[in-house]
Amino acid sequence: MSGTTPALGRRQRTARPDRAAWGFLLPFVALFLFVFVIPLGYAVYESLLKPIRSGPLGLGPASIGFAGLDNYTLALQQSDFLESFGRVLLFGIVQVPVMLLLATALALILDTLSQRWSGILRAAYFLPYGVPGVIASILWGFLYVPGVSPLVDLLDKVGLAPDFLGYHGVLWSIANIVIWEFTGYNMLVIVAQLKSIPQELYEAARIDGAGSWQTAVRIKLPLARPALVLTAVFSIIGTLQLFAEPLVIKPLTSTVTSSYTPNLAAYNEAFSNNNIYLAAAESVILALVASVLSFGFLSLVNRKERGAR
Amino acid sequence: MNSSPPSRRSVLRWGAGAAGALAALPALTACGQTVGAARTTRQESTRPGQKVNLVFWTWVPMQKTVDLWNRTHPDIHVELQTVPASTQGGYQKMFSALSAGNPPDLAQVEYQELPAFMLVNGLTDLSGYGADKLRDSYVPWQWNQGVFGGRVHTIPQASGPMGLFHRQDLLAKWGLETPATWADFEQAARVVKARGGGARISAFNPSSPAWFAALCWQRGSRWVRTQDDTWIVAMNDDPSREVAEYWERMVRDDLVLVEPDLSSVWYRQLQTGQVVTWIGPQWGDALLRGNAPGTKGKWRAAPLPQWQAGENASANWGGASTAVLQGSRHPREALQFAHWINSDPKAVDLNIAAGYGWPAATGIFRGSALDKPDPFFGGQRYNDVFAASDRAIDTSWKWSPTTDADFAHLGDAFGASMAGDGTLTSALADAQKRTVDDLLAKGLKARSQS
Repeated sequence: MSGTTPALGRRQRTARPDRAAWGFLLPFVALFLFVFVIPLGYAVYESLLKPIRSGPLGLGPASIGFAGLDNYTLALQQSDFLESFGRVLLFGIVQVPVMLLLATALALILDTLSQRWSGILRAAYFLPYGVPGVIASILWGFLYVPGVSPLVDLLDKVGLAPDFLGYHGVLWSIANIVIWEFTGYNMLVIVAQLKSIPQELYEAARIDGAGSWQTAVRIKLPLARPALVLTAVFSIIGTLQLFAEPLVIKPLTSTVTSSYTPNLAAYNEAFSNNNIYLAAAESVILALVASVLSFGFLSLVNRKERGAR
Repeated sequence: MNSSPPSRRSVLRWGAGAAGALAALPALTACGQTVGAARTTRQESTRPGQKVNLVFWTWVPMQKTVDLWNRTHPDIHVELQTVPASTQGGYQKMFSALSAGNPPDLAQVEYQELPAFMLVNGLTDLSGYGADKLRDSYVPWQWNQGVFGGRVHTIPQASGPMGLFHRQDLLAKWGLETPATWADFEQAARVVKARGGGARISAFNPSSPAWFAALCWQRGSRWVRTQDDTWIVAMNDDPSREVAEYWERMVRDDLVLVEPDLSSVWYRQLQTGQVVTWIGPQWGDALLRGNAPGTKGKWRAAPLPQWQAGENASANWGGASTAVLQGSRHPREALQFAHWINSDPKAVDLNIAAGYGWPAATGIFRGSALDKPDPFFGGQRYNDVFAASDRAIDTSWKWSPTTDADFAHLGDAFGASMAGDGTLTSALADAQKRTVDDLLAKGLKARSQS
């Protein structure tokens, strides 16, 4: 008798936190399930199907059959779908470092300013992030269109005749929009990390005779590394998912094609061409590439970190 | 009570013109999921005095017409909901609504899009609701755009017969006659370039394949044919290549502005006289009037330039119908509205004022708001030009069930060719190949015209 009571008590003690933990986890798990796991599973399922047509000219009633990996083969055979990956990779290789360099530089500058000025500037830099991507693209679109844009007129007068929407320029015009939108956001993440650096380290550095440049390079940057890694991963994923900006810019120029980015290709396949099965396959391929790249980047960074120790 | 007609389950044949009477196949109603609309049309019974509500999706500002209907038809209330125009989001929304099972009762669907809607079982067979007896109210070729397998699937609304809008004052200033042939047009383009001080005769929009299709249509090309059960694609046929070569030359010699038309840049150039003509459809009159009001009185309309002097070939750009989407609970009332909005003289006049295009209803032009001298066109009865153009359209042109994708491929390839990657003619071959691939990917039988 006496032996069972503590055991029971122990069970209760362990059971209660479990229930509480699940209670707290429930909203997350439910959302994760409904907006992530289930749609993902559904997309994979759809990507394995194809319509089977009947009737003359195939306009008769259609049913759905198992396609195996046909949709994947088809997607990988489409040259413009593959080109769209090349395009966003090129975009990412240039745009992500430029944006993160800018964000880091701004964060470091803000970190040295007085409380009041850094507050005002932080809000100002962050402001573009509050403008939805579609609106930002419309705004910039007007600045790119010759004949309407004061910017183009001005540059024309100076003798530079920029073709912001030309075949070679448009990708970088889109990159500019993305940089404008997200630099402030990334800067904020880095600023938050810098704020968490204990003041003692700075004092120690000062005592050791480090100037502000050396403090920035030797102390702030290494300690802001987790934030830099995080922003880099987010930016890589964001780059691959580029969608709203090219979609909005598309009507302004014939150089943005219907499969300019992988997301745009999947969107048009699903909603213009009405082939949701092929679109699902394209989306799954995109998700795979994005996870390979982000996890690849993370493991590369972690290996370096381990190597450094 | 007429329940959902079974004919959708039987054979569907592309167009009234498709050759060979095909015996009805046994209905292949395989168990399990089907492609397309999640809900099928079923007439709900209504009690006398009960008000029916219909939802109508369109991008033409027809609110005034709908208001008139609601005033005169107290039993059937129509709610107009504006959707983005055609492929800029409108069809995407309709297709999604169809698969989700909550489509509007009525929607504006362009002729070139109808086969794609058929492919997803998106249109209600209106023959089951007595649409056949309305046939005589409409222009035959427009009516036939919505006939599949001998069954009526939509009520035609309006079309876009093509013509040549031109600035008569500017052409006269440079000593030019209105071009009657494409050779004249090219000659005039060279004069405009030489004397126009930066002006060009027109814009070439590489991302407007519907416009390019119309020019090929006029030349006598047929992009899509059917043979037995196979779709045959011929975007790269001789007439189309001839049209492509013509515009290639115009672009190469810098005789046209390469830019999207119907865009803010282009409207500005209309206002400033940098663009002198527009090879456009009848519904373009409202766009000119609305976007270049300062040029009032200087424009005229002329027939489309011809490939041979003395010919009279025309083409159509755009044109839409009022469809009853699959899943409506009130198809009978929806059909009543669709017929009224497209044929009632008062409704048509309001539609004309909204710039909806060239009426599909027969006998409506004379005496309508279109049949008047127009001050914007210097008092010209410019719609006489389009009335003649409408009669000169070869009506055997057909669209594929993947028109959106076909246009996307063509637009992409044209865009690339403008940047030096290929030519307009190679773009045709490229688009043709991709179109066949798309059709095959959708499980259809297709091939290129050899």
